[in-house]
Parts: sequence; C-alpha cells; structure tokens
Amino acid sequence: MDAALKALAEPRRRAILRLVWSHELPATEIADQFRDVTRPAISQHLAVLKEADLVIERRDGTRRLYRAKTATVAELRAFLDDYWTSGLERLRDVAEAAETRKRPTKGRQ
Amino acid sequence: MAELVREIMIDATPETIWPFLTEPDKHIEWNGTEAEIDPRPGGIYRVLTKGEHLGVGEYVEVVPLERVLFTFGWEQEGNPITPGSTTIEITLHPEGDKTRVRLVHRGLPEDAVSDHTSGWGHYLGRLATAASGGNPGPDR
Repeated sequence: MDAALKALAEPRRRAILRLVWSHELPATEIADQFRDVTRPAISQHLAVLKEADLVIERRDGTRRLYRAKTATVAELRAFLDDYWTSGLERLRDVAEAAETRKRPTKGRQ
Repeated sequence: MAELVREIMIDATPETIWPFLTEPDKHIEWNGTEAEIDPRPGGIYRVLTKGEHLGVGEYVEVVPLERVLFTFGWEQEGNPITPGSTTIEITLHPEGDKTRVRLVHRGLPEDAVSDHTSGWGHYLGRLATAASGGNPGPDR
C-alpha cells in the first residue's frame, strides 16, 4: 500500500494510470500522450506503477501493453476510510480523556 | 459523486466532545497541527498539518452539541477536490452517557479515476504525501 501511495504521489503517474484505466495500451501509445516527457522517463514511470501493483504488464511480441489493476485502487479507497477512522479514533481518545477529567468519580482509567 | 461515512462510539457526552470540533486549540489535539476555525455559517475552516495547508473550507451549518457542516477541499491549484467541492458533516448522537459520532464526506469523485478526469489516486497521492509530513507541492 505504501508503494501504491508513493507511486501515486507523482502527478504524471496518476495521468498514466487514468489512460490505462478502462483499456489496455501499448507503452508507445502511452508515451505519445506525453510530448514533454522522454520515452525512458515514461518507461520508468510504468516500472514504478508495475512495482506498486497498480498496472499489469503484458507482452505481445516486441510490444509491452499495460492496463490498470483496479483492485489496488479499491484498496486505496479503503485507505481513505482508514484515514477518517483514525481521525475519529483520535477524537474519541482525547474526548474520553477530557470526560474522565470532568467526571473523576465515574471510575474510568 | 460518492460519499464516505464513518461512525465511532465515544464514551463522553456531546458537551465534552463539542469543543474538540469547534475550538482551535482542542481541534489540533486530534486533527491538524494548526487550526483556524470560526464555526458559524460563513466562518472559515482551515486546518493545517505540519505547516502545510491541508483542509480548507467554510462552515455552512453549526448546531451546538449536535451538528457541524462545512465545505472541504484542498487549496492547491488544479486539485480536483477544490475548496467548496465537497462537504463534511459531523453529527453527535447521544446514546445513554455515550455519543455516537458520525462523519459523512460528500461529493467525492468516487470513480473519477475511471472517468478519466480526476480521481482518488490523485487525491490519495497528495494525502499520502501530506500525511507523511511531506509537501505535496503545487498541483500540475
């Protein structure tokens, strides 16, 4: 999950992931979408996405094709859930501590 | 558009919990490292984490001890979750001497990655950077 988050922290990699979200594309076509980026740089981004389990690579002769691995993105959705959950858990901890200070006779620890 | 709902049961009364939602010095005990909040309709919501602007919005509805509703977004240019584009509603539901706290984040672009415009990945990437103490930097 850390690898996926780290991979997605780079805007270009998010753009690549969007490109291959609903259909598979060869690396050359992906690179064509980014005229301001060199092909080796795109290859590097694809390698990071693959390493993070965000895309699946398939070889067809000399071509390499990529498509998004949507299950990993679903896991990221779960991460956001956790983000709020941990926030609320911190709220619970500080509020319960405050409640204990207000009502020491209630016997909380 | 999607919404995200989280609930938690807190062993405290709404009277105890409310200041943590509405007073800056108490807010940062659980969320943010700096908070500039003015909880009344039209008032500012700005919660910073480690010096970086994280959540920015405006209060829409504030019912003491019951409900707070504010708009929420990221301040960075080009970010799909712009200030005003989503809302967060936190409600307090007393149950005996405990309180059920419910948080609903509405207006999120759930499948936005798949509709080729923006997305969770974008949002989460920035969130991951900010949450780990880094600076997501200007959005591109």
